[in-house]
Amino acid sequence: MKRDYQTHVFTSTYTADVSGVCSALYELGGMTVLHDPSGCNSTYSTHDEPRWFDTDSLMYVSGLDEITAVMGDDNVLIRDVTAAANDLHPRFITLCGASIPHIIAFDYRGVAYLIEQACGIPVLPVPTDGLKSYVSGVGMALSAWLDRFADPAAHENAAENAVNLVGVTPLDFSVNGNAERLRKTFAAAGFAVNCCMAMGESFESMANAYRARANIVVSSAGRHAAKRMKKKAGIPIVEGLPIGRAQTEAVLRAARETLADGSDRTAWGAFGNTGRYTVPKGGILVIGEEVFAKSLAAAISLLPAEKRGGLAAYPLWPDEDEGLPEREVIDAVRDSAVVIADPLYKVVLRGSDPARFIEFPHEAYSGRIFRAALPAFAGPSFSVEGLLKTAF
Amino acid sequence: MLEFQRIGDLEYEYNADLGLSYASPVRGVWNIVHIGTLVPEAHEIFVCPTSCLRGVVLTTAEMGAMDRLSTITVGEDNILDGDMEEALQRGAERVIAELPQRPRAMLIYTSCIHHFLAVNYQRVYRVLREKYPDIDFIDCYMDPIMRRTLPAIPSLWRQIHRLLQPCEKNPKQVNYVGNCFAYGPYCDLTQMLESAGTAVLQLNTCKTYDEFLKMASSCANITFHGAAVQAAKDMRLRLGQEWIPVRPGYCYDEIDEDLRAAAAALGIEPPSAEETRLQRELTEAAVAETRALIGATPVSVDYTAVDRPLELALYLLDHGFTVESVFVDVFTESREIFERLQGRIPELRIYQSLGWNIRRMARGHEGERLLAVGQKSAYFKDTNHFVNIIEGEGMYGYRGIRRLMELMREAYRTEKPMRELVQIKGWGCGCS
Repeated sequence: MKRDYQTHVFTSTYTADVSGVCSALYELGGMTVLHDPSGCNSTYSTHDEPRWFDTDSLMYVSGLDEITAVMGDDNVLIRDVTAAANDLHPRFITLCGASIPHIIAFDYRGVAYLIEQACGIPVLPVPTDGLKSYVSGVGMALSAWLDRFADPAAHENAAENAVNLVGVTPLDFSVNGNAERLRKTFAAAGFAVNCCMAMGESFESMANAYRARANIVVSSAGRHAAKRMKKKAGIPIVEGLPIGRAQTEAVLRAARETLADGSDRTAWGAFGNTGRYTVPKGGILVIGEEVFAKSLAAAISLLPAEKRGGLAAYPLWPDEDEGLPEREVIDAVRDSAVVIADPLYKVVLRGSDPARFIEFPHEAYSGRIFRAALPAFAGPSFSVEGLLKTAF
Repeated sequence: MLEFQRIGDLEYEYNADLGLSYASPVRGVWNIVHIGTLVPEAHEIFVCPTSCLRGVVLTTAEMGAMDRLSTITVGEDNILDGDMEEALQRGAERVIAELPQRPRAMLIYTSCIHHFLAVNYQRVYRVLREKYPDIDFIDCYMDPIMRRTLPAIPSLWRQIHRLLQPCEKNPKQVNYVGNCFAYGPYCDLTQMLESAGTAVLQLNTCKTYDEFLKMASSCANITFHGAAVQAAKDMRLRLGQEWIPVRPGYCYDEIDEDLRAAAAALGIEPPSAEETRLQRELTEAAVAETRALIGATPVSVDYTAVDRPLELALYLLDHGFTVESVFVDVFTESREIFERLQGRIPELRIYQSLGWNIRRMARGHEGERLLAVGQKSAYFKDTNHFVNIIEGEGMYGYRGIRRLMELMREAYRTEKPMRELVQIKGWGCGCS
């Protein structure tokens, strides 16, 4: 039977590609325009952007309407964006969009070119479609930005110990100090953090992104940009999130090895040959973004057996294009002894013992609802053992 | 370009909601999810791409009402394969099969993409109605691309009431249609109807689906807001219920006129001349008390708090208040009100809350204190002294004005945590 990714009777949805674009480029001094009728921008600013109230970053919706779409009148958008840019003087403009521009074959590149000609400000076309997850959007946005503003030749000047942390947005790391902890973790281990894409960076510092010897992909949202940088400048990739002491050591070790031999690595070991959405019964299930879920599962597996009830941990993560199939999630949850996941996944328990559920909020899933409870999980000081205490 | 314009420089045909738009952190206005969940024992299904689903799902989750909503994601495969109808039917059937309780009604929302791909969803609803005769299915729309024709909220009010079927009418029972908030003690009309022994049914006070269905037997529908017009017209045609619109304004003569018209339509006694005189005196006294307290403190009014912000500004000015600004994106009030305000105070600031320049506005106000009526005024003018209401919050007529004055006095005296309050979605709904 075909897997049903589409119907969600009980569960929520991961945020979309358009929010990923906005989130990734938020701090770089640009203006992002979501080509969409309405709603995408308020959804982003309400649920996905914890920095919205206190900063004045420029994110707008184009207000596409029926007649403009049917007539293909791109001049409305070009006129509006040009006028706004002339008022606000952003460093650059990003043009992304949702499903209607996608199905009417809106010409992102052409319109970006025309806006740039009209206002003299660089315009990045990022042809999102509103159908995919934020992982896709962050990847497309960072890649487009690097292609336009970062010079691959700068890689020649990279320090021997310079690394980038790629895929850092509030969607996966919130604004509770995780980004700073990531920097400190690598700095304390003797690495020079060149760029943390893209929190705590400026336009100028991001422009030096290629001055690194390795890209540490700390969330899958960083994978596309890392692959692009590998293609353009040969920068090797390490995938892994430092979470807890042992897993942090594993990630740092992988980073050192990659700096030494230039090979790509992952820092989470292996999880057996189970199907993508099938996990062995009676284990510890970690549901979340791919790099996070695999890294936390690895971190748990690195604990002494008695600290994890003698159980093994298994990750379950959403597909970038399709999300998670609800039936398989329900089965995996019911088959597991312990579940670590965003609190909104609790709805699938339906009468099972809720004590085995360990809440681990994820902004890209539940938005702002549990933001205050989101732990500072990055780095060696996070206690994986403490996380499991409520279950054993 | 400034983030505001002087009203003296504006044309009446002003409309800021035409293109590139900004979304402020102010989220109190209800959306279609909040309104849909008013239908008791109903279940909502949203059928949209991920980017559209995100907002409705988290709105529902914040209300703690995830058991009232399911979703069907539109994917690339559906676009390429042209199987939107099958995906909708399969998804709805799975939702029905897996819900722990059978819903009495299902509100199925399709989106912009369905219009553009000419999806024959009515056929799906026909199939579902035949297969599940115990469930009332109704087509709803989350299609902001159609907002120039029929915006999503008026459309939803109409569709919700299409669940009602023609039946015998009760001359002593009326409906209030299209209100997010119940109209009770702060509404002159409610008082008049109750005094005459006429029952008032309102969706937002219905506890059961059967109670909601009783609205079909009312003899008339009374509307207070523009968003209810489509529903009332539709109900007049389909159910034979009379439509009695009242104007949510501040002109005493209009209030009296509307009360008399409603009374005549329902065959009940209108308020007596003595009662009207008393109401006016009480209202003027409440306004004077408020004016005495607030003094020359500047006041800012916004369209999320009241339907007629320009008329409220004019009313306050006429009563000696200092009104410094109005936040409004589209003028929906009469030209007469606009021109009177223009003549009265041409320097009045009109802010576009959706305009791109307002993003970089230096939020704040001159002087020690500013009193805001509405969340947007409070946010942009950065004041904790504000009246925290949405859509008039059940206020109409003289009693409504007096309640507003009471809230203004309270807001003047007591600060509120503006930052926290304005970010709550759907103020006054389940989450507040």
